[in-house]
Amino acid sequence: MKLATIGVGNAGSKVVDRMVEFESKTNRSLCRHVHAINTARTDLAKPEYIPEEQRVLVGDTNQKSKGHGVGGDVEIGAEVMSADVDEIRRAFDDIEIHNVDAILVAAGLGGGTGSGGGPVVIDALQDMYDEPVYALGILPGEYEGGRPALNAARSLQSFVNKVDNFIGFDNDAWRAREQTIQEGYEEMNRELAARIVTLLAAGETDDTDVAENAMDSSDIIRTLATDGVSSIGYAATAVDAQPEGLLDRWGGSGASAEDPLDDASQAKKIKSLVRRATNSRLTLPCEVSSAERVLVVVSGPPSEFSRKGIESARQWLEQEAGTVEILVGDDPREGSSRLAAAVLLSNVSDAPRIETLQNQAVDAQEQIAEQEAAREEKINDLITDENDDLDPVI
Amino acid sequence: MKLALVGVGGAGARVVDAIRGAEADGDRQLCYGNLLTVDISRTLGGDLDHVPREQRVTIGDTHRGVDDGVDGDQDLAVEVARADAPEIQRALDTITMRTLDGVLVVAGLGGGTGSGAGAVLVERLQELYDKPVYVLGMLPGVDEGSHAALNAARSLRSIVPAADSTLLFDNDRWVDADGGTDADGNADATEERYGRANRELASRVLTLFARGGPDPSSIGANTLDASDVVRTLSPGGVASIGHAAIELDDDGGGLLSWLLSILPGSRERETSDERTDAGKIQSLVGQALNSRLTLPCEVSSAERALVVLSGPPEKLSRRGFESARQLIEEETNTVEVLAGDDPQVGSSTVAATVLLSNVTSVPRIDSMQRDAVEHERERVGDAVPASEESD
Repeated sequence: MKLATIGVGNAGSKVVDRMVEFESKTNRSLCRHVHAINTARTDLAKPEYIPEEQRVLVGDTNQKSKGHGVGGDVEIGAEVMSADVDEIRRAFDDIEIHNVDAILVAAGLGGGTGSGGGPVVIDALQDMYDEPVYALGILPGEYEGGRPALNAARSLQSFVNKVDNFIGFDNDAWRAREQTIQEGYEEMNRELAARIVTLLAAGETDDTDVAENAMDSSDIIRTLATDGVSSIGYAATAVDAQPEGLLDRWGGSGASAEDPLDDASQAKKIKSLVRRATNSRLTLPCEVSSAERVLVVVSGPPSEFSRKGIESARQWLEQEAGTVEILVGDDPREGSSRLAAAVLLSNVSDAPRIETLQNQAVDAQEQIAEQEAAREEKINDLITDENDDLDPVI
Repeated sequence: MKLALVGVGGAGARVVDAIRGAEADGDRQLCYGNLLTVDISRTLGGDLDHVPREQRVTIGDTHRGVDDGVDGDQDLAVEVARADAPEIQRALDTITMRTLDGVLVVAGLGGGTGSGAGAVLVERLQELYDKPVYVLGMLPGVDEGSHAALNAARSLRSIVPAADSTLLFDNDRWVDADGGTDADGNADATEERYGRANRELASRVLTLFARGGPDPSSIGANTLDASDVVRTLSPGGVASIGHAAIELDDDGGGLLSWLLSILPGSRERETSDERTDAGKIQSLVGQALNSRLTLPCEVSSAERALVVLSGPPEKLSRRGFESARQLIEEETNTVEVLAGDDPQVGSSTVAATVLLSNVTSVPRIDSMQRDAVEHERERVGDAVPASEESD
């Protein structure tokens, strides 16, 4: 699949940057067009792989932002982005739409620019193009507090209503332990980038190898066309690099030591890899059985592929996900040292974090409203003496 | 963030001078040369080192009743500031507000000029500009007397509703009571005591409002920007700044842990090292919240909060950052907490700066109001002795 990829806000831009990094390191070509859009000049200086001319600063003439971000305020994020929507449309005019199959908008939902501005960007894209628009949305962790949860719960509604699919990423599930702030985010973004790129880049190889079960962009589009929330699972294993002609061997964990691989054991490997991917830490933890459609991309050197393996993985998933809408295909990567499986669970309806996020948001909203209502009176109490004997100086 | 600095009265001017001095010493810029001091008919003379002479405005020199300043009379200061509005206006015109994010008016609230002319200036600036007008006010210490308390109490009633936010600094908490111990007992002692407090205040104001240079290594994963500070301060009311810093082991502990870390099988030690970092950051924030506030207050009465952790990036542990944020959310009892990191490559200290916005429970303001009321009663009592007992 060929994508136009747009990162909105700090988190979204960083994910897009890591996606481009992953592609270039694995010789894939998914993102034919990238943009980073932000309200904070400082954050736009950070990406390493997004070309400078593809970074758009919005709201720099807006009194509420002036190039300094929106202070985590989702309303101002939406306002600033709307005010500059013409500039955004102009930037999107560059997209060679005949050269892309779909558009992906990546954004963090806990802050202000991504959560408030993201839906505005999506509206503009939906107006301009007929191609599907997907979102890659990063949900704040519970530990990030009430305000981000409130932003995210509100923003999630807009995102899901406007996009053709919302692929979720839960910071809680991916929260790192012993790391510095910088490393923690980088690590999470790299994991997410590997998943999304492995999944969506299927079918876009430059070599002429056409695999038996090759996945193409229409398969991906079909699986994503549920208007719902999705999650991605992933597993990879190293492939022993051996000169051609010798029997290929499996490396990495999960594989038992064994003799030359016949088709049966190769099939078993594929199936177990898909199984591991499905049971892995999902980008958005959810009940696998609540998925409406499933797509699996097995990516790696074609010599590792097994038609039988793909069929048995499909059968296993049919049971597991309780749906017959399952596509399993391969994505040949000649010379790759890894065999990977990415599983897309489309329209999952049972994702516990979304529910806890909503509860956290409701509590936060009530607390904020209470504080706002009492604000004037409390300030007045503070600056007025007990019996109101003192006059203001002016 | 770029803020114009306007110092009103002697104390205000000296703090502006200290902020300008701190800007010149470090790489953090706040006012970019946009500063002004306003005083009433008094030669500030040599005690300002960093404010150019042409940026010092003196008003009221032709006003009746003004001799050497206003001698603590805030009503007179109000009168003078209103009468000399055109002169103040001319001085303000030299500041190019268009390029700035707002104004910070700095005033000592115990004195006549700061408390009176300061209030007039805030009102005037709000009429002139549609940018935020913040106040940095110094509350008088108990030993400055009850008249100072009255000035401050009355001034707060005008300034707090007019300003976009009023950051307060309690001299009682920050100016050493016994200056005599470290000086020879001469007049220098007082000046030095306030000087220290002013420098401390200046460094906090800069840490909070000003960013370092455009060096990309100083951009954090979650860099807080001007909009974050504006949003945190937007409820108005009174704000307090907390700050605490620790030196990283420079006493040989660093060498020891380095030795341990290169030994084989040191995995466990690394982990416990990390844990200590997280613990350190949490206790640092705890310190900033409790004993090190510019205005001691009930932390739980804050409406919004912001925290910045600065230090060498390899020491800013993610877990420490998270628990610091969580600690603030618990202590302030609010969900409106913004947290950011401020990596300082090569720095040997880790520091936490906390901004508590709209704190509404402040013991020092209550006690000041009681002193003020008593002072007012005595004054009225002196004038009309019989009327006091009638109500």
